[in-house]
Order: sequence, then C-alpha cells, then structure tokens
Amino acid sequence: MSPSQRAAWFGAAGRVALWAYTAVILLFLLVPIAIIVIMSFSDQPYLTFPPPGWTLHWYAAVQDQPRWLAAALNSIRIGVPSALLAVFFGTLAALGIARSGSRWAKPMTLLVLAPMMVPHVIIAIGLFPTLVDLRLINTYSAVVIGHSVIGIPLVFVTVSAALRAYPASLDLAARTLGASPWRTFMRVTVPMTWAGIASGGLLAFAASFDELMLALFLTSARTETLPRMIWDQLSFALTPALAAVATLILALSMILLGAAAVIGSRKPTPRRALL
Amino acid sequence: MVPPIAFLGMFLLLPLIRVVIRSFAEPALTVTNYVRVFSDVAYMRAFSYTLEVALSVTALCLLIGYPLAYAIARARGVAQKLISILVLLPLWTSVVIRSYAWLILFQRKGALNDLLLSMGLVKEPIDILQTSVAVEIGMVHILLPVMVLPLVASMMAVDATLLRAGRILGARPLRLFLRVYLRITLPGISAGCVLVFISALGFFITPSLLGGAHNAMAAVVIEQAVSVFFDWPLASALSTVLLLITIGIYLAYARLTGGELQVALK
Repeated sequence: MSPSQRAAWFGAAGRVALWAYTAVILLFLLVPIAIIVIMSFSDQPYLTFPPPGWTLHWYAAVQDQPRWLAAALNSIRIGVPSALLAVFFGTLAALGIARSGSRWAKPMTLLVLAPMMVPHVIIAIGLFPTLVDLRLINTYSAVVIGHSVIGIPLVFVTVSAALRAYPASLDLAARTLGASPWRTFMRVTVPMTWAGIASGGLLAFAASFDELMLALFLTSARTETLPRMIWDQLSFALTPALAAVATLILALSMILLGAAAVIGSRKPTPRRALL
Repeated sequence: MVPPIAFLGMFLLLPLIRVVIRSFAEPALTVTNYVRVFSDVAYMRAFSYTLEVALSVTALCLLIGYPLAYAIARARGVAQKLISILVLLPLWTSVVIRSYAWLILFQRKGALNDLLLSMGLVKEPIDILQTSVAVEIGMVHILLPVMVLPLVASMMAVDATLLRAGRILGARPLRLFLRVYLRITLPGISAGCVLVFISALGFFITPSLLGGAHNAMAAVVIEQAVSVFFDWPLASALSTVLLLITIGIYLAYARLTGGELQVALK
C-alpha cells in the first residue's frame, strides 16, 4: 500500500470504529430504559428477564390504586407552579445580569447557579426549618418553593443563551424609535427569547417532576409526589406495577422532550416584533 | 433584578447560612458536632468514599464521553440530531426510575447475570449490587450527558483549518490530536469534569439503591442522620463539610481556568 492508500484505509477504519463505539454507548444509555418498558408488560410477578409472557395486568393494578393517581396529580400540581415561578425569577435574573454591566453580576450569577451545584440534601436541611418558621411545612407551597429554587438556574441558563444569541442593539433600536421599556420588553425581548424561556420552563417542570430529596423533606402523605411514592414502594416491594408507573412517566417525559425539541428548533423572528 | 435575588436569598442563601450556624450553635455554642464528624471513622470514610466515587465517575465519563462527543461533533444533519437526542434522552428520564432499572438488571437472578452465565463468562451468578461497581455504572449513566454537552460545544468550535495546517506541516495524527485538538477542547474538558464531579458529590438515589451500607456516600449519611437519628445538628455539621468541599472544588476550578463556569443545557 502506498502511504496515501494507507491513510485512506486508516481513515475509513477509524470512522467505522467510531460509529461502532457510538452504537455501543447509545445501547448502554438506552438499555435500562428499554428494560423498564419490557418489564411493565411481563406476566411474571417477579422480575425475570426476558419475560415468558405478556400482559397489561400491571397497568390495571396501577389504575386500581388511587394513591398512584393522587401522587401523579400532586406532581403536576407542584410541577406547574414551580416551573412558572422558576420562569419568572429565572428570566428576570437572566435579563438583569445580561443587560447590566454591574460589578455585582458575577456574585449574582453564582447565587442563581448555586442550586445546580449545592447537593440537594443540604438545601433540604436548610429549607425545612425555614419553612417550619413560615408555617408552610407540609403544604403544597413548601415543596413548590423548594422546586422553584431548583428550577431557577435551568431557566436562567436557557434564557441567558437566548439573550446572547441576538444583539442588544435591537432593544436599543426599539427604544430609540420611541417604544417604552415595557413595550420594548414585550415586543422585542420576549419574542426574541421565548424559545429559551419556554424550554427553560419545560426543564424546570421536568426537574420538579423528577425531584426526590426535597420532596422527601418537604411533602407529607397528602402532598407526596410520584418520585416519593416510587421511592417508598421500592423499599418494600419490587413488582412490575412499578415498571408500569415508570413507563407511563417515561411516556410523559418523551412528550415533554418532543415539545422542547420543537420549540428549540424554531428560529426567533424579529419581524413579528417589528410589525 | 431584585425579585430573584430576594427569593433566592430567602429560600437558598439564608437556609444554607442557617445550616452552618446550626452546626455550631446546637445544642449550645459548640464544636462538638465537628468533633463527632472528624473522630468517627464511618463519617470520614463516607467523605473519602464520596471523593473516590466522584473522581472515578468523572474519569469514566470523560473517557467514555470524549469519543462520543467527537462522533456527535463530526456527524452531520439527521445523524447528528438523532445521536444528540438519544444521548439527551436519559437526561429527561427520572433518576429514580433509571436506578430502579439497574437494580433489576444487577440482581443475582437478573438479566446481566443471565447474559454472563449463558456466554460462559462466569460459572455462577456474581453479586454486582451493593458494590462500588454498581454505583459507578449507575452514576456514569446519569452523568454522561452532563459531560458530553460541554465537550460537544468545545469540539464544534474547533477551526478545521488549524487541523489542516497541522497536517500540511507534517504532524502525525496522534501528535495532531495531542498538540492541537486536545488543547483546543480543553475548556470543554474542564467544564465537563467540574460539572460531573460537583454533581457526583451530592448523589443520593443511586448510591442508596445500588450501593451497600458499608459504602455509603455523604448525601446518604446526611439524610440518615435526619431521617433515622433525628440528629439535625450532626446533619448540619456533615452538610457544612460537604458544602465546603463543593465550594472548594468550584473555587479551584475558577482559579485554574480564570473564568466562570459556562453551563449549557442544549
């Protein structure tokens, strides 16, 4: 082989190896998810794999237990206001930090991102007595407050990215042409960043929907969320009914992911803002 | 700017300060809680074990994630979108559910043992649950996307002409990789590593489901101090130590790279 032939051969071999490797890693990432879905249709009460037969029995079992439905409704009742609060505070923080040259920008950024870094168990241990003092413990508000703290950095990151993606001179132009700050915000800033705001909100909802540690500390039997109920069930019974619940949650997550992907792929248009 | 700062001040900063104060102030003004933390072998072991696991999970995520990120950065069009979605998919599925899936897979009579037995790789079922291996596999599965995102971002920013220039000037592939590609993607590597490491420090679900009692991570020990022993002052002291470790690692990163952490979620 000539040197150039050899280089081409190595290049092709390298590409094949890279794709094979990628396939193996994707398999590693997806296998546990696939296992859950398969188990939920298994006709065995014990967790055997692969299952000898198929059934919808476990979905019926889930439906028969009102506690699951109550927990699912709690998760939504907590996730939606948490996400809305996170959107409100996260967007304000992103705007404030991106558009001010303040020397406080750096410490404020740290504070806003801190919930991503600080272990949730520490936040929970600090929040619990605070919410007891405010007489909020065991109410929906308690866990909603906790989950919005977790959601704020997610909205902050996505909105900050959206703000960086368009020039601030557009806002300035609107102001120069006589628009009030509020009008500029509603007609220019929001249309230009709404994809970031919406995907941040979805992320915040998903984070609340999946959060366990704060839920363990801040919810009661009345306000328990799905992750908390799954957690309780795991400690005494491993039945395929859990896999059925997990599959239903997976389906919901896929819908959210799809929504986020569609929102994320849309390009912001200043035209709508200008008309 | 005022509302988010007020909200986070009230429900994040003050609670954290409260944890620190409580660790010194209960039952009376005291350092007893810290004496208990630092003189108890079990607690010291929990912290060293947490650092150990965080370190090996970070290394594994980097080793596994770097080629994967390269594949994503090199792919075009639909293939790139598809791989990205599949890599991000786990990020959207519940951590409790995924740890539960590993619990099923790793059981003595679970799928993995069936596979190993049928392939003749082992003679009898092996115990994977309650070992560090189980915990690390579960954690890598959760944290891999966190590593891959900044890596892909740094690889997308690589200027292809630099690589061509290196090749024309006669650099062999390995040298080209080490001297050019690796150096340009270094910010992605450091951001990914610090994000994974810091996240790993606070892990609770995976180690408590897949790990054993003898290798408990810090968050598990802290949660137990409250839920089993109702010992809030001790839990506060343990939390303060874990918080200081987290802050220390962040500061070391900020000092080394001279910049703030860039977090990307897409």
